[in-house]
Amino acid sequence: MPTDFDDWFVREILAHERPLTQYLQRCWPHRDEWHDLRQEIYARVYEAAAHNRPVAPKAFLFASARHLMTDRARRGRVVSIEPMGDFELSNVYLVDEVSPERWAGARQALKRLAEAFDRLPDRCREVVWLRRVEELPQKDVAQRLGISGKTVEKHLAKGMRLIADHLHGGEPLHMDAEHARMTTDEDDGHARQQAD
Amino acid sequence: MHDSRQIEQAAAEWLVRRDRGDWSARDQQALDDWLRAASRHRVEFLRLQAAWQETGRLQALAAGLPAGAVPPRQAWSLGLPVARMAHARSDAATHVARARGWRHALAASAALAVVGSAIWIGWQLTGRNEASYASGVGQLETVTLADGSTATFSSDSRARVRMSRGERDVELLQGEAYFDVAHDAGRPFVVTADGRRVIAVGTRFSVRRDPQEVRVVVTEGKVRLDSPPGADGRATPVSLLPAGSVASAGRNGVLVRSLPVAEAERYLEWRSGFLTFDDTSLATAAAEFNRFNARKLELADAGVAELRVGGNFRWANVDSFVKLLELGFPVRAERLADRIVLHSR
Repeated sequence: MPTDFDDWFVREILAHERPLTQYLQRCWPHRDEWHDLRQEIYARVYEAAAHNRPVAPKAFLFASARHLMTDRARRGRVVSIEPMGDFELSNVYLVDEVSPERWAGARQALKRLAEAFDRLPDRCREVVWLRRVEELPQKDVAQRLGISGKTVEKHLAKGMRLIADHLHGGEPLHMDAEHARMTTDEDDGHARQQAD
Repeated sequence: MHDSRQIEQAAAEWLVRRDRGDWSARDQQALDDWLRAASRHRVEFLRLQAAWQETGRLQALAAGLPAGAVPPRQAWSLGLPVARMAHARSDAATHVARARGWRHALAASAALAVVGSAIWIGWQLTGRNEASYASGVGQLETVTLADGSTATFSSDSRARVRMSRGERDVELLQGEAYFDVAHDAGRPFVVTADGRRVIAVGTRFSVRRDPQEVRVVVTEGKVRLDSPPGADGRATPVSLLPAGSVASAGRNGVLVRSLPVAEAERYLEWRSGFLTFDDTSLATAAAEFNRFNARKLELADAGVAELRVGGNFRWANVDSFVKLLELGFPVRAERLADRIVLHSR
């Protein structure tokens, strides 16, 4: 049940994931919280905007990010405020202007998508291709590759997350141990998985 | 602390389950409940869904690639002609393609002898097939190309066709042509018109070349439209056109309209002898008639050019079109030997 508002959210809020992520990375010292912070910021913006859609969505997004970080800092969830960067917004716009991928035309977007796709581990990449490009149903993908339906589902879910990270963010925010291995050592890690 | 990742994983699993093909109303209900349970669920779902939808555009990269094989990494020739990639085929495939090519070449010669009306300028069998086609004003020509595809040329159109082992190239020099492309995943079918490249594997579409724009109408399958960089050197977008697309590529970029296929087919009614107008300016309608007739329609003033007309008309029968105009509109026709001039009344 996609709504107009959901479309608006994707277009006006999620489109700024890259500068938002960079902002969090600069301002918040605890890298294992970046993912959680980002999700909570999105949730807050979603709730607030559902009542009253902001006229300047991007500024609203960054203001929400700043408020949330201030709240969390105040609630003592960080031990020291010292290493935290500057919450000021002055740099944020610059950041976005340096990376205007989203608006650089369809060819550029296609290039980015190709990059995201090429970064997937081998088997995951194959599964995504067969499902999304050749449009084989999931069970035919399983048959073609000689793997179980469950495994196809796992690869698709993983592909979806990795591609989302790359398309929206440009940098994966997967910093816990498991994901760090997956993203830095993708192919080796995957070879082991495939051998199973 | 790591709830956010669990939510991301759960959202991905929902999307995958919905994609599985056995989605029921109860599943939808369960998903709706999950989405309503927390805004975090909803935003993560939207985030992954948006990216997942975007991956559908990978199909634009697949145009011209053999089906059934996942291309190697970095094989994308985003700036280069896709046709180049076809060279990666195995030798066995080359042999098959060549044998098929020759068989079709023979079939095509036979077809041409029967059709007879196609003006056949040249056919050189020197390792590759090359042929030129032209149709006269008011003539439609349907020809079978060397690969088994058929091309229907509209009035006053010219094209040069080159078939080689790796490529099928059609250069549309003038006018409009409709293609029913024989499926051959190893050999992309590429139509070039005024610097634009329209790339297909097996599909039906037309390409029309006008002084100001190139128009592509797709009625089956998918084609990819590549444009040369603009005057400012900036790359122009690649468009993937599914069936029902009507794309107009002009100096200011590419405008794509997505129509129901039946409606898109109305742009191709010329093949059965008709022109279809729907709230079309008389200026445009007259230009359409003029593509098909040696006796041209001329508009004497702006008032008459702006009249809106609609309906189906036989393009060969410009006289009855003019009579209908005189009956239904404030138009006076001045009938000269070589043209008909329309005036406001």
